Amino acid sequence: MISLRGVSLVYPNGVRALDGIDLEIGKGDFVFLVGHSGTGKSTLLRLLYREMAPTTGEITVDGIRVECLRRSRVPILRRHIGVVFQDFKLLTDKTVWENVAFALQVTGAHTRDVIRQVPRVLDLVGLSHKSRMYPGELSGGEQQRAAIARALVNNPKILLCDEPTGNLDPSNTTEIMELLLRINLKGTTIMVATHNQAVVDRMRRRVVRLDNGRIVTDEERGYYFLGLGQSQILSG
Amino acid sequence: MQATAIGTVTVTIVLLGAFLYARAVLVHFGAGVLNQIEISAFLQDGTSPARTEAMRAALAHDPRVLSVQYVPKKEGLQELRRRLKGEIDTSILTENPLPNMFRVRVRTPELVPAVAAEIRKMPGVQYVNYGQDVVGKLLQLVAVARRVGIAVITLFILVAGIIISNTIRLTVFARRREIAIMQLVGATNAYIRMPFICEGLLDGLLGASLAVAALEVGRASLVPRLVAALPFVAANVVNVNLGTLVPQLLLVGAAVGLIASWISVGRFLRT
Repeated sequence: MISLRGVSLVYPNGVRALDGIDLEIGKGDFVFLVGHSGTGKSTLLRLLYREMAPTTGEITVDGIRVECLRRSRVPILRRHIGVVFQDFKLLTDKTVWENVAFALQVTGAHTRDVIRQVPRVLDLVGLSHKSRMYPGELSGGEQQRAAIARALVNNPKILLCDEPTGNLDPSNTTEIMELLLRINLKGTTIMVATHNQAVVDRMRRRVVRLDNGRIVTDEERGYYFLGLGQSQILSG
Repeated sequence: MQATAIGTVTVTIVLLGAFLYARAVLVHFGAGVLNQIEISAFLQDGTSPARTEAMRAALAHDPRVLSVQYVPKKEGLQELRRRLKGEIDTSILTENPLPNMFRVRVRTPELVPAVAAEIRKMPGVQYVNYGQDVVGKLLQLVAVARRVGIAVITLFILVAGIIISNTIRLTVFARRREIAIMQLVGATNAYIRMPFICEGLLDGLLGASLAVAALEVGRASLVPRLVAALPFVAANVVNVNLGTLVPQLLLVGAAVGLIASWISVGRFLRT
């Protein structure tokens, strides 16, 4: 579903943001991207939805060669990918319903489809009863669920989450992660860049660890800290 | 800010319209004067009737020539007497001082100098007159007015374009979050651009409409007074055809708005 081969990104000032990344992510995978701040997690996600282009290397997302995509084709790629951010990026002057519908409308979708799809995703994220409310009237967890609904309304095969629980308290964090898990079970490939140790350690999913723009470890059922998991298991 | 943009377009189009109108009047007026120009070719005394007839035939066959009229000296004197009647006592003339002459009219004013020069070279022609000074100056005046006007209008259209473009850029900037989200969820640039282009187009059209209205009011109230003050312009001003001017002005306004907004949104979408 997602494939990176020898991907590097060097900024004009010479800083290497990513260095020789090789990564394969299969259909329906759930992958955590962990590492210190500034280590290239967000940058890696941005390359996937073509917010940035790599200096060298090949990126394939759902069969689309991303790095050589013409500008006019980028919207097509983005309709295959849902993206969720730490700060939700909701439009504050639109209701939850309107925020979700907006994502469909701007792709030129039929009103018929909007009326069918929006309730479906709002139901999926459990916000049907608050669809007429504005983001300012919702809790952080609810806002993030609205953002996830918006990311999913186009039926993307891939959901990219950049610190989705960064602004949330532990109980909201749990809710959001459970929601992501449910979405994953429906077959959506999910990548989550996170700093949240508790989340990663509890879920025991594939963990790709970045350091200084390189992948240092890639474990099938990993922990947030390298080696810590094993010691916990041994001591437990 | 939007009012500024519309206002600038209005001022620009008013100036453009006034200029085009004035030019139309001037061209009309000038054409009226220039079309009345005739070349008077005075013949040497003693030119044979055969030679005179040959000249007439040659001129009549020239495709540039509209009409040739032979005026014998006797007729010329009668005409002069008629024209000067009551001003000068022409009975003091004891002999006819006028030569025989041709009155030649050509098809367009621009042909006058060339045709006149050729006539002068014909044997038997003593002197050619077509109001050289007046014609030359009039032609020059029209050319200068045209050039200066075009420069001023170009400048104003440019200023209007820049102001509209800045207005749109501010709107784009105010909605940058929305635009970023649109791009994120896969809206095409054309889709994102559309409302801003429409806004620019509307600003331009609105400005141009106001300008057309202002021009119409100005023409209705100013021109009659102008005509009253300067009697000789009357017929020309009334005859100017304004049918194509209004759509032209609206088109210019719309084009300025369209192009300016296209450029300013395009710049934003590339980053």
